[in-house]
Amino acid sequence: MTATPGPLPFERRVAVWDAVLTAVRGHLRGQGLREVSTPVRVLAPAIEPYIEPIAAPPGFLATSPELAMKRLLCRGSGPIFQLSHVFRQAERGDRHSEEFHLLEWYRVDTELAALERDVEAIVATVFAAAGATSSAPRAWRRDSFFEVFAATAGVGLRGDEDDGQLRERLPAELREAVWDGRPGPLLSTDPEVRSLAAWTGLFGVWSDRHLDPWLLAQADVGVHLGEFPGALAALSRRSEQGGRAVAHRVESYVGGVELANGYLELREADEQRARFLAVNALREALGAPRLPLDEAFLDELAGSPGLPACVGVALGLDRLVMLACGRARLSDVTLALGAA
Amino acid sequence: MDVSELRKNAKLQMDGHPYVVTDFQFVKPGKGQGLYKCRLKNMITGATIDRTWRSGEKLEAANVESHRMQYLFSAGGTFTFMNSENYEQVELSADLVGDDSNFLFEQLEVEVLFYNNRPVGVTLPSHIVMTITESEPGVKGDSANNPTKLATLETGYKLQVPLFVKQGERVKIDTRTGEYIERVNT
Repeated sequence: MTATPGPLPFERRVAVWDAVLTAVRGHLRGQGLREVSTPVRVLAPAIEPYIEPIAAPPGFLATSPELAMKRLLCRGSGPIFQLSHVFRQAERGDRHSEEFHLLEWYRVDTELAALERDVEAIVATVFAAAGATSSAPRAWRRDSFFEVFAATAGVGLRGDEDDGQLRERLPAELREAVWDGRPGPLLSTDPEVRSLAAWTGLFGVWSDRHLDPWLLAQADVGVHLGEFPGALAALSRRSEQGGRAVAHRVESYVGGVELANGYLELREADEQRARFLAVNALREALGAPRLPLDEAFLDELAGSPGLPACVGVALGLDRLVMLACGRARLSDVTLALGAA
Repeated sequence: MDVSELRKNAKLQMDGHPYVVTDFQFVKPGKGQGLYKCRLKNMITGATIDRTWRSGEKLEAANVESHRMQYLFSAGGTFTFMNSENYEQVELSADLVGDDSNFLFEQLEVEVLFYNNRPVGVTLPSHIVMTITESEPGVKGDSANNPTKLATLETGYKLQVPLFVKQGERVKIDTRTGEYIERVNT
């Protein structure tokens, strides 16, 4: 990215957002997706180790519309999209805001590659709608997490190592950054908590030290980072591929900025419940409150017909507008004037 | 205090020193743990350091306050200030006041910084108006090349001013750079 030109003039902001919202809706409808709108207040949020929902008694403000949209898919909605306001407590910074627009969509009976093409098309659509004050990615590349990790950190991973194996495998620089000084959940008596803590800690440190510079060195190209380690599957399906434990998850980046996160969606209710419980155990070890499980969602998954084979992706629309306007801060393009 | 309370101008204590956050970046890769990348300035020495914390970590808030005070006088290497609200007086040694003494004139309103209830420093207004006590008359005909001359303020501080500024006139000064800004017509 080039030098930042400062806040977008207010008149431009209104015009840009109007054009972007119209273009995004038009594009997805043109692809045969239908727009839905699910509640902003939910009784149980999607449980993530490092995402804190904001309480809105008797529930929470949605941190993402994921579970609500999957329930619609279970009832036969077919391909759908939503432009929702989501809330994540204490996330404030140049590229974070406690409230932001998440553009989330699902396609049925297809592969992650279809979502990657969608993300590319949405990026192009928003850059064009914003008036092309900044140049869109000149091309896209797709890389496997395992390859980029090996190339930048100097060691290969299998994707399902436990915390002890991971600790032995990593170069000293990463091992120390993950383990030293802040043991917390890494000392848990629960081996599942220790491993999840080690993997999530490693991903954060590696992203900050290795992935970000790697992305910035080719900031004019969009990047899809796919084939995550099985241990970092979140809500995606896992499988064994060439001796590796692979999660069918993809993160997309533009200009070095993380923009979208897609999954080949997990459909098994028991596995889904086990993952929620594992994350809750990690949350407890981190000193964060346990969160209620979305039993209605789990019932829907366990029932018949359950969740159809589908892929889904969530894209941070404010960040994309920021990039399309050639800005480096969300506050330069937001319509949330004087927001917290 | 929790790291999530960090932001620009937050004050915290590390290794027995008060620090103020001068630059702050929050990042959170791939739905992972948040990182708080900060540049910090030691509020007493002015030295800067970089630190990164992870979400969930705890910090010690610095017991730092600032009070609006009026500068009264200096004597024997100490500077005396008075709280404008309750008339309490405090003394600061010359090394704590540092170069700011160049711009301290009687009755100037400043912020005095207290750490653990002890005065540790002074924050001046960014712009002040002072009187030129001494300056040679300007030399005519040299305005293109080096159109400034040396002048002395009421505190003894010397600075460059344009040739047209005369002794006894009042000038506005940037206290952060110590430089002349403009002549003030009174």
